[in-house]
Amino acid sequence: MSYFVLLPILFPILSGIFLLVRKEMKNRQSLLITVGAALVITTVLAITAMLTVRDEIFLVFNLTRTLPVLFKIDGVGVIFGIVGIIVFVCAGSFGFEYMKHEEHEKRYYGFYLIVFGILMALCFAGNLVTFYLFFELLTLSSMPLVLHTGSKEAVMAGLKYLFYSLCGAYMVLFGFYFINRYANTLSFSEGSVLNPELAAGHASLLLGAAFVMIMGFSVKAGMFPMHAWLTAAHPAAPAPASAVLSAVIVKAGVLGIIRVVYYLFGASFLQGTWVQSVWMTLALITVFMGSLLAYREPVLKKRLAYSTVSQISYILFGLAVMDPDALTGGMLHVICHSLVKAVLFLCAGAIIYKTGKTRADELRGIGKEMPVLLWCYTVASLGLVGIPPTGGFVSKWYLAAGALSSGIPGFFWIGPAVLLISALLTAGYLLPITISGFFPGEDFDYGGLKKREPGVLMTLPIALLTALSVLAGLFPNVLTDFIARLAADIL
Amino acid sequence: MKESIMLLVILLPVISGILVPLLPFKKRRHMEIFLEIVVVINSLLVWGILLEFPEESFTLARFTGNLTISFRVDGMTMVFAGLVSALWPFATLYAFEYMTREERERSFFAFYTMTYGVTLGIALAGNMLTMYFFYELLTLVTVPLVMHTLSREAILASRTYLYYSLGGAAFAFISLIFLTIYGSTTDFILGGALDLERVGERTNTLLLVYVMAFLGFGVKAAICPFNSWLPKAGVAPTPVTALLHAVAVVKSGAFAILRLTYFSFGTDFLEGTWAQSVVMAITMFTIVYGCSRAVKETHLKRRLAYSTISNLSYILFGAALMSPAGMVGALTHMVFHAVMKIASFFCAGAVMHQTDRHYVHELNGLGYKMPWVFGVFTLSALALMGVPGLAGFVSKWNLALAAVESGNPLSYGGIVCLLISALLTAVYMLTIVVRAFFPGKDFDDRAVSEIRDPGWKMVVPLVVFSAFIVVFGLYSSPFVEFFQKVANGIY
Repeated sequence: MSYFVLLPILFPILSGIFLLVRKEMKNRQSLLITVGAALVITTVLAITAMLTVRDEIFLVFNLTRTLPVLFKIDGVGVIFGIVGIIVFVCAGSFGFEYMKHEEHEKRYYGFYLIVFGILMALCFAGNLVTFYLFFELLTLSSMPLVLHTGSKEAVMAGLKYLFYSLCGAYMVLFGFYFINRYANTLSFSEGSVLNPELAAGHASLLLGAAFVMIMGFSVKAGMFPMHAWLTAAHPAAPAPASAVLSAVIVKAGVLGIIRVVYYLFGASFLQGTWVQSVWMTLALITVFMGSLLAYREPVLKKRLAYSTVSQISYILFGLAVMDPDALTGGMLHVICHSLVKAVLFLCAGAIIYKTGKTRADELRGIGKEMPVLLWCYTVASLGLVGIPPTGGFVSKWYLAAGALSSGIPGFFWIGPAVLLISALLTAGYLLPITISGFFPGEDFDYGGLKKREPGVLMTLPIALLTALSVLAGLFPNVLTDFIARLAADIL
Repeated sequence: MKESIMLLVILLPVISGILVPLLPFKKRRHMEIFLEIVVVINSLLVWGILLEFPEESFTLARFTGNLTISFRVDGMTMVFAGLVSALWPFATLYAFEYMTREERERSFFAFYTMTYGVTLGIALAGNMLTMYFFYELLTLVTVPLVMHTLSREAILASRTYLYYSLGGAAFAFISLIFLTIYGSTTDFILGGALDLERVGERTNTLLLVYVMAFLGFGVKAAICPFNSWLPKAGVAPTPVTALLHAVAVVKSGAFAILRLTYFSFGTDFLEGTWAQSVVMAITMFTIVYGCSRAVKETHLKRRLAYSTISNLSYILFGAALMSPAGMVGALTHMVFHAVMKIASFFCAGAVMHQTDRHYVHELNGLGYKMPWVFGVFTLSALALMGVPGLAGFVSKWNLALAAVESGNPLSYGGIVCLLISALLTAVYMLTIVVRAFFPGKDFDDRAVSEIRDPGWKMVVPLVVFSAFIVVFGLYSSPFVEFFQKVANGIY
């Protein structure tokens, strides 16, 4: 039975490859049906796998004697997996309409499905080798999504994405070589895998290795100083791909850091060391800087990308504090940010699709044209700012509470303060669009407005994601209980 | 009697090579069949020797004292001779199709086949003198291949090649003299044959001799600053660049250095001395230097040549670690890099043969027109970068493990160099892949409409090498275990 974990990984990858190699389909309809079916089947397979083979180890093969490729579905994997599925399915069906105005749809969906499968593999990876393998593949297979439009800017953004990500991957590999030497096993297990006898006397070397690995994964998560690719790559992609990249793919970096810190080195090994301080500092710098840059950015998709930079570092800060509450907050924010950022990018995409407008200041009166869309945008924005009753409020509450209770000198109050300032900035860069969209002002020419609400294929996924982000805030206990138990286990 | 077969595998290709211009072949096809049969038979004989190897050495001639020309099969021989004999038949097949566009085929194939025998001579050499003899011979038989096109550029390149190689061999010769005086024997013995009593106070002199010999043999392995002949020699027809300048000739240099380090001077004598630091620093510098030049280079074959420079120094870095694990890493990379690089060179050659395009910026949009060639090129690019599951990952893994194991801070720096090099490899290889498959929006498809994949003689070797790349990547354990036995003197 345990082989079942392979199905949600292999099925989308193979169907993606099938799409890539087969010749152009006769009509668009059959392509969409194929993709839709693949997404649904993968979802079913993934949920079944999560329900039936939880915590079972499945060894695929041995890369070398000491490097087995194996899968195991654990709690963290389930959280990231479910978030991934929701966003992938919603953005996928959004794309059915949106991708009409792009070329090479077959290629786009081919890579889209491959990325989906690889993401599932990352969530279910049972040890560092497997994770690293699929981490590299994720970069390689998601690059075509970034440069899909084929404009010079997009191709350059794609290459930038590729090289930054690979740089991160190689930093991970550097740490990998060292931890391999001093660990009992590289399978993810709660607590530390370091062999105390071997590691004795090499603490500073291992701290260095841990730091390099954290930095390596944080490239993917867009942490300062390795964030520059993110604001180039995410806006360059077609909107549904931006949504997936910004909502889910960056989380692969977060997942990597969780695995390294909490499942390999162990939090107790890093608590109170220079690694923790440097990491927290960088995360806080990123939180503030991302928000500030987003505030100054006029192009909507770029603004959202800067917002991602900032918000992911909320999560990273939560992980860096290494306190149960902060960790819970961080993981909750993984869920909330994914849902919200997907909504925001899809809204931006729908606006581009319907009106061709890309800059935030062009969006006056947009609420009169697309009321449903802008309502979704507004609700999601409130979630990102952290206003109750949305999910974002709960996650930020936990983050701040965790930081305060951790008692780490300096950071215990600087952290929450930075988070608060950033929340204000977030309101400052997201809500003006709502305001000028619904209340364009007296001098506005209402005559030029016409109904431009996008079709149901676009609206429904957006509405669904918005609803989920609110539900996460209304009934947070379901999530917090689950996550808090998880956090208690691994800390 | 059984031993004399060692001489046969050296002489058979040499004599057949000499016969090629003399025999009255009516058609080109007859020459092809003759050569392919000779090469395949020779390879089978080599494999026969390797599987049923004679314990005794075979002495052909005896000069004064213990200076002899003698042959012996040991683990290193098995690796190098096995590698060369596995690649040669495929390279010859490829050359048949490639050379249809070139002139003076007969003289080309004459020297090409003779090189096979000479390379085996290096592999089978039982002592320093024999190896030195064949090493010089290798230079002489390959010079005509470099200047094959007889263009001004080719003649200049062959002159550079000649001067560099002969100069290097002169330094190597010095070490031969010192080894005859201070060594108990010049035969290759794992662990070295220096007589430490005779060395006495002259340790530093001998270390200097070692460094000089390392650099001398390093000329063929294109070590910095003696590398400029290799990119220049890229004017030779692609079968030469691919087989000789990525495998046979340059790896003879690496092979000779391994012999010198592990079998003549011995790691006990060298490890931890200033000589080790010097040679290791040189290899580390070359690793990064080669890659950086490759990134800058726009000529396709020269770019791959710079990549070879960098990768050869991976092998030498393994040699410079001076531990059994380092030797395992070196041998792994020697074999695995051979397959990866010959595959990428053959792809470059196929592009040049089919389209007459030589520069990277001319490759836009060729991916869909030559799916086999660029498919294999992509695979070899990923393998060279070290994506897990492909050959390059395993060899880099072994090298890095050895470096971590050594505990020497300088070799930690070597790991950093390896990873920087991996990133740069991604830059110079994947930009080509991206160009070929994602030519961008304003690309005119008509410019490439006539272009096709080459014929089966070119495609078959490509597919075989790709299969090797994947097999080495996924099932490396038997190979690596064999290398471990070699490094520990079991073979």
